[in-house]
Formats: sequence, structure tokens, C-alpha cells
Amino acid sequence: MSFFSSYIYGPNENLGRLYLTVSSLITFGLITLYSISTDPLSINSSFMRQVIFIIFSLFIFLILNQINVKTIHDNSTLIYIFSFLLCFVPFFLAPVENTYRWIDLGFFYIQPGEYLKCATIILIAKYLSNHQLEVKENYIVVIPILIAFLSSFLVLNQPDLGTAAIIFAPVLPMMLWAGVSIFTLFLLIAPVITIIAASNSVIFNIWGILMFIIFLAFQGSLIKRILIYFANIFTGLLFPFFWNDFLNGYQRQRFIDFLNPDLDPMGSSYHIIQSITAIGSGGLFGKGWGQGSQTQLKFLPVQESDFILSVIAEEFGFFGIAVIMFLFFMLIKTLLDIAFKSSDYYSSLVIVGLTSILFSHIFVNSAMTIGLMPVKGLPTPFVSAGGSFMLLCFIILSLVTNLSKN
Amino acid sequence: MLKIENKADIFHYRTLLFVLILSILTLLSRYFYLQVIEHERYSSKSKVNSVRAQATYAPRGLILDRNGVVLVENYPTYILTVTPYELDDQEKQFQIISDITEISIDELSRRYKKYYQGKFLPTIIAKNLSFAEISQIEERRLELNGIQYKRFDERLYNDMLKDAHFLGYLRELDRESLPFLDKSKLYRAGELIGWQGLEKQYENELRYSKGIDYIEVDTFGRKINRTNEKNIPAYPGKNLILSIDSKLQQFSKNLLTDQRGVILVSNVDTGDILSMVSNPSYNLDIYRGETTDSDWKNLLSDKDKPIINRNIAGLYPPGSSFKIITALNLIEDGLLDPEDSLMCTGSYTPPGSSNTFNCWKGDGHGLVDLNKAIAQSCNVYFYETVQLIKLSDWTKTAKIFGFQNKTDIDLPNELIGQIPDKEFFINTYGRWGWSERGVLLNLTLGQGDILVTPLQSLRYINHIASKGKTAKLKLNVNKKVEYYDDIILSEQTWDRIIKGLYDVVNMEGGSGWRAMQSEVKLYGKTSTAENPHGEPHAWFNGFFDFGGQTYSLVVLVENGGGGGAVASPIAGEIVKFFTNEQVKMVNK
Repeated sequence: MSFFSSYIYGPNENLGRLYLTVSSLITFGLITLYSISTDPLSINSSFMRQVIFIIFSLFIFLILNQINVKTIHDNSTLIYIFSFLLCFVPFFLAPVENTYRWIDLGFFYIQPGEYLKCATIILIAKYLSNHQLEVKENYIVVIPILIAFLSSFLVLNQPDLGTAAIIFAPVLPMMLWAGVSIFTLFLLIAPVITIIAASNSVIFNIWGILMFIIFLAFQGSLIKRILIYFANIFTGLLFPFFWNDFLNGYQRQRFIDFLNPDLDPMGSSYHIIQSITAIGSGGLFGKGWGQGSQTQLKFLPVQESDFILSVIAEEFGFFGIAVIMFLFFMLIKTLLDIAFKSSDYYSSLVIVGLTSILFSHIFVNSAMTIGLMPVKGLPTPFVSAGGSFMLLCFIILSLVTNLSKN
Repeated sequence: MLKIENKADIFHYRTLLFVLILSILTLLSRYFYLQVIEHERYSSKSKVNSVRAQATYAPRGLILDRNGVVLVENYPTYILTVTPYELDDQEKQFQIISDITEISIDELSRRYKKYYQGKFLPTIIAKNLSFAEISQIEERRLELNGIQYKRFDERLYNDMLKDAHFLGYLRELDRESLPFLDKSKLYRAGELIGWQGLEKQYENELRYSKGIDYIEVDTFGRKINRTNEKNIPAYPGKNLILSIDSKLQQFSKNLLTDQRGVILVSNVDTGDILSMVSNPSYNLDIYRGETTDSDWKNLLSDKDKPIINRNIAGLYPPGSSFKIITALNLIEDGLLDPEDSLMCTGSYTPPGSSNTFNCWKGDGHGLVDLNKAIAQSCNVYFYETVQLIKLSDWTKTAKIFGFQNKTDIDLPNELIGQIPDKEFFINTYGRWGWSERGVLLNLTLGQGDILVTPLQSLRYINHIASKGKTAKLKLNVNKKVEYYDDIILSEQTWDRIIKGLYDVVNMEGGSGWRAMQSEVKLYGKTSTAENPHGEPHAWFNGFFDFGGQTYSLVVLVENGGGGGAVASPIAGEIVKFFTNEQVKMVNK
């Protein structure tokens, strides 16, 4: 290894690559924020605030790096309980924008739901590592899913549909990583697909047949397989009732808007249309830094956080998007490499869980800007403006650093 | 090393990597589709088919007096805005504007920087353009790319009352103030907002509600057409009708001529303020724009402080009117018989002290009972009797009448003054640097560390005039009548005090005889308040019945001299105004 690369990468090559990727993402984000800030050097601009958040998060990162992995492992349950209780705090404070998601610390807001995501992963990893010999049994999936449900239910009441959904993202990858059988995992996702398929009778029929074949292919008691199959079909048939009777008006509206963005151009799908126009008009090489008319004319809503990728797409074009997607790919791949190389089971599981969180944010956020998913306030890691989430990303980084050292 | 070794399977690693690559490729292909294949479509859409919300405006509410005289109205002017993105040559173009408007380039650049909101958003750089200037700009249209003018309402003050502090003024919003404002009101930098006085107090009522026009614009923010019927119309602000009678206000103002001071007139039954003069004042038109920096500096550094509304923000020792506080304590607590007389020889020497305190009347008042003591404002009577009262009782009574408390008038920035109590004296003079008996000799005359605003003094006299149940002072005629906490004293106590106040004006030798009117019964109390800034302040606080209503007044002439000699005649003139004009002060 040359002197240069050892300088950058340090003793642990993967960690070095991780830091390099993260720094590149942060730089990209800051360049973009500078472009959209009216007065970037004023203390209230999103650019300067982001700089301050990064410095603050870096400071916390360096402090957390001193914590031993064993401390985290041994106190997994305690960490979870603490994060869980923290989520109750906003209910005793004044609501921020009519929700109970935030705790106002004066200089910035923290969102305890974000930290509950990490704590949920830590607890599930602890459980799986304690029951490592039973992973081939079907019942192993019960406890992790219950933990995720518990966290999700609490967050849902804040109310925060986005975070509540993201809490489930790490469950499947973690169980896969832990060694749970593919068929068991299939049983888990089948109902979800059934529900989505239920919106269209043709798709529902195709899925029914496909599922039938898959059930036949796997081994196990015939009666059990038949029962599960019909349970799935019933879920699909019952879903329309649930949709009509249990979902809030605005939740339904979000889905409807998503399925049909041209329906109400000035209503809530206005965001998606403006975002797609900004992205599409960017072209191959973009309109240039600070030259995005959609962005600069403020057509684009929440451009510094939720729609920052649209700004990048407009000002730097497909070229810019390709670069940022490559960086995201490198980020996730490096994390998976670290998890794979990690010397112990628990650390490896936690890293996979945290990676899933970051990835689901990246995916949902990008998909939202291009109209592939409903509008949901999920920021992009290391790029979007916002103190609470930036801090979370650095905490994740610190956890990964600690766990990989072991 | 923790207990269990990692046995991650390469198959699992590859599965997740596969999902990752698949997802990233899905996203990328969608981006590719939008940005490369469909680029033309969105590019033209972004140029011509961008829907943009544009604010529309309506006039701000007017301010009228109780008789419908318009005091503050809107005056249409033209403002000049610059859209930074469209400027060809900023220096050259600013030079042209500077030539036309005679505003220096430096000033134009300063405003440009101050109100800048973004490359594509118009920034205000000049105001109050005349029609002639607009015509010249229109002639040179082609050289002035990126510069637009539009109508913009300014406030215009009625000549009669353009120096009335309480009206307040508007100011342009800068970016720094924006985060502190109500978001739902959609304030933007460069817009006008009520910044002082009633304009600030009633900002929410006076301000128009902004409308929204959805318009289609091109890349340069140029309007293509209005889109649909979802536009929200703008509504004008509500008019504000004041309790002020502008004729009386103007009349009272003239009574003060060039003296510094205050005249307040109110209706005791409703709390309506009919006149609120603070002299000297200044012309509110200076907020309309072209005031130079040096004019501003002169105004701010003027030692007479014309910028201050003395009614709510001037602090003065109240003087003898506070003798009533002592009198109330004496009667209400049964500390003496009001009919008993003391001998005033012109001076008082406290027991065990060698200091002598003089009455204002050198050869003394002779035998004095409470009534005469109030009417002739005898110091010695109160020097002797205040010795019967505890400091804490005295301060309590003063505070019941609203001193060291806001009057809750509908104006911002009201001061509360100061009523010193034991704690205050300890903090100021140390534990042993003062004595209760000593300070009371000062306090009973309304001197020493007491500070009150003229408006508090008005509230005080209203409490007495209404025997303890008086309406809160207000300037907005339509504001609901509310009451201060009732002051409960026995009927005889009130009667005795009021009789004293009557004799001040109407008895032979009363200190306020110069205010006496033949047709109207005037009650009052003069004060001559010593102060460190020169001649004493002359006060007259009083009330009178007229046309079935009770009115009160406060006259204060700063460093004017004796309350009897200087303030009383002014009070008399005000009462005369009522009788002469036969003012229709009927309650609305």
C-alpha cells in the first residue's frame, strides 16, 4: 500500500474508505446548500446552520468513539428502554407543528424517534445473538418483529408515519444476516405484497398463483402451508375494508396523490410535480451551480432537506446524480464489507441493521423526488440539511467505528 | 471479543449487495429517463409552465377619531424594485436611476443589499417616486432591464394630528425581524409593519389579509397568465376608531405652546381617552422615507426628547397629589379624627431630630384639619400625621391605585414607574442608611424615590372620581369596556377626599383656585414636584361632571413651576373648551 493511501485509509482500510465517502457526501451537500441559501454566510442560512450541525456532530462522534463495544452490548436493553422513554418526552412538551416528534433544545430540535430506530436494532441484535442456535426455527422471528412493532407503534402516535415504517426496514436484512431461513422470511413479506396486490384484481390473481407455486416448492407440513396460503389471501381481501375504515384521510390522500400525481397540480402532489420538473429540466449536465430556476425561484418546496436531491439533479444534471448515487453505493457497500469482516456476530448484526436504516432513507428519499414513492419527510443521510438527523448519522458512524474495532 | 463469532455467509452478503445494486440502478434509470430521455419535455415545462404563487395586497385599515375625522390614511406612491438576475450592468443602471431620482448610488446599493431576497426575487431599492420620475424611467425602459416599478401604499397623517405619538408608525421589515413574526400573516422583507404606537398595537386588525394569485411564469419569473380560480382574494384591513377628539387634542396641544409637558383628558365612565398630548413632539411624516441621517440624529439627540411619548414613558415625581394616599390611610385605618386640627407654624421638626422641614407657606397655615390640609396642600399637617402610618401600609395603598403597574392602555412600551418599599430602600441605601420615619416625610409629599407616568396619574384620579370602580383606560373606542380591580373604601372616606378636592379649586385659599369655573364643578389637586433637573414640575390632576358624564384630566408642565400657578389655569382652559364647544361627548 502506498504512503498516500495508507494516510487516507489508515490502519483499517474499510473504515478509511467509509470516512472518505462520508466526507465526499457532506461536501456535496454543503455545496448544494450554499447554492440555495439566499445569504449563505448569515448565521441563519441553511448552509451555515449545516456547518454548525456538522461541527457539533463531529464533536459528539469523537466523544462516542471512546465507548467500548462491550458496554454497548451489555447495556443493549438499557439503551432501548432509555430511547423508548425519551420518545414520551415530547408528549409533555408543547407540540411542534402539531406533532409530538420533537424536543426543543434551544439551539436545535432533536427527534427521539430517530434514536429509537438505532436502539431497536441494538435490541434485536442482542436477542438474535443470544439465541443464535435457534435461528433455523420459525419462531425466532416473533420477538424481533414484536420489538419493531412496539417501537413503531409508539412513533406512529407522535404521529410520524415515515419513521414508524422505517423501523421495520432493518428487520428483514438482519434476520437474513443472522441465518433465518429464506422461506420463513418469505412468509413474513408475503402478506405485505398481498396487501399491495389487493389494489388491483389482475395483479392479485397473478400473485395468488405465484404464491401458490412458491408454497408448493418449499418443504414442511402440507396443512400448515395451505393454512398460511389462505390466511394471505384473506388478508388481501380484507384490506379494502381496513383502508376505508382505519386510515386517516390525509394518509389515504398521500397514497392517492402518489398513484396519480397529475390529479391536483396545486394540492399536495404539487411537490412531486415541481420536483420532477426540476429534475427533468436539469438534463445531462445540469443548469450550473446556483442557476437552477426551479430551485432559485422557490418552486421547489423544502429544498434544503426533503428535496435536496432534486436541487442536485437540476443544477448538476444526471452527471451529478450519478456521482451522488455512486457515493451512496460506496457508502452502503463499505458498510456491508465492514459487517462481513466484523469478527463477532452481535457487532455484525448491528452494523447490518444500521446500514439498512441509512439505505432505506436514501432509497425512500430518492424515490420520492422522482415520484416512485409518496411524499414523506425523510431526509437523505449526510446531504440533507437538518441537525437531528445529521447527528443520528454521525452516531451511526461512531457505532460502526466502535463495532468494527472489536 | 464478544461471546459469539461472526459467521456471516457470503451468500447473505451477496444477496444484500444484489438488492443494493438493483435499487440504485432502479433509481438511476428513473433519473436517466427523466433527465435525458424526457429532458426536452421538462425543460420546456420549467421554462413556460411553472405555476407560482404571487401575493396580492389590499389597503391597510384607516385610523379615525371619535367623530369620524380621518387621522391616518393611505397614500399611493410608486416603488422601484430590482430583480438581480435580470440586471445587465448594475453600476450603469443604478447610475441612471440615481440621476432620475437623485438618490445616491451608495444609498441604492445599500438598500439593494439590505433587502436582497434572492437572485430571482424583486428587491425594493427606492420609494416615494413621483409620477414624473416614473415617466422618465418608462422612457428609458430599454436601458433598465430588470428594474420595475409598482404601486405601494404609504401612510399619510392628517395635518391636525401628525405629531401625535400614540398613532405610531410603520417600518419596513428587514430579514432579521422576519423569524419573530406570525407565519400565518405571510410577512415578507420590505413590507411595512406597525412598529410603534397604535399601528403596532393593532397591527393584526389594521393589516390587510394578503391574497394569493396563482400565475404561470417562465424561467425569468415573467408572468405568462393567471391560471385558475383557486386564487385567494386580498382583503383590506379593518379601520380603527379612536376615542380621541382631535379638536380637543389640538386645543390642548396649543395650551402647552412651547412648554414641555403632557395633557390627558379621559372619560371616567368608559376609560376612553379624549386627548393625549405629549410636548414637544415631531412630525410623523419623517417615517415616510426621505429623512436624511443627520435629521434623524438631530431628532434622537434632542435634549427635550421629542421622540418619547411622555404620557406612558415619561417618569416624574408626583408631588402633593400623593398626600391623598396618606389621607386615605389615616381615615380608613381610623388613625385620627379628620375634624381634629393641628397647628401649622410654617415648619416641622421631627421628635429627636435637629432637622427642620418647612411648609411651602413660610408663615404657616395656622389651625389645619384634614380638609384644609388637602385644599391648601399644607405640608406640616402631613409631616406630622404620616408619622402614624407604617411604610408598608403606605406603599400598599399607592399600589392599589395602580402605581408601579401598567395601566393596560392599548399602547406598546408603557413604563410602570416606581413606588419604593422597604426592600428598595435597603437595596439602595443599605440596611442602616435610611429610616422609615425619615423617608415617609418625603413620600407623603410625593417626593423622593417615587416615579409615576402621567397616565398612571390619570388612572389614580379616575379611581377617586368613580369612588373606586373605574374603567380601564383605552384609545380604541370599540374596545370592550373593562374595569380595574375595585378599590373598596367606605363611602365617607371617598366623600371626604372628594370634598377636599372640591375645596382645592373652589375654597377661599385653595391651591387650585386658578382653575375654577363658574358653570362646571371642578375637583382637583395641584402638585409642585421638586426634581433635580431645575424648576419644579407643575401638575394638576382633576375631574368634573359635564353633560351627565364624568371627565378627568391631567396637566403636567415639566419644570414649569408651581402647580397652582402654572398647571391650574391650563386645566381651567380645558374645562372651558367643554362648555364653549358644548362638546358632544356622548358615549359611543
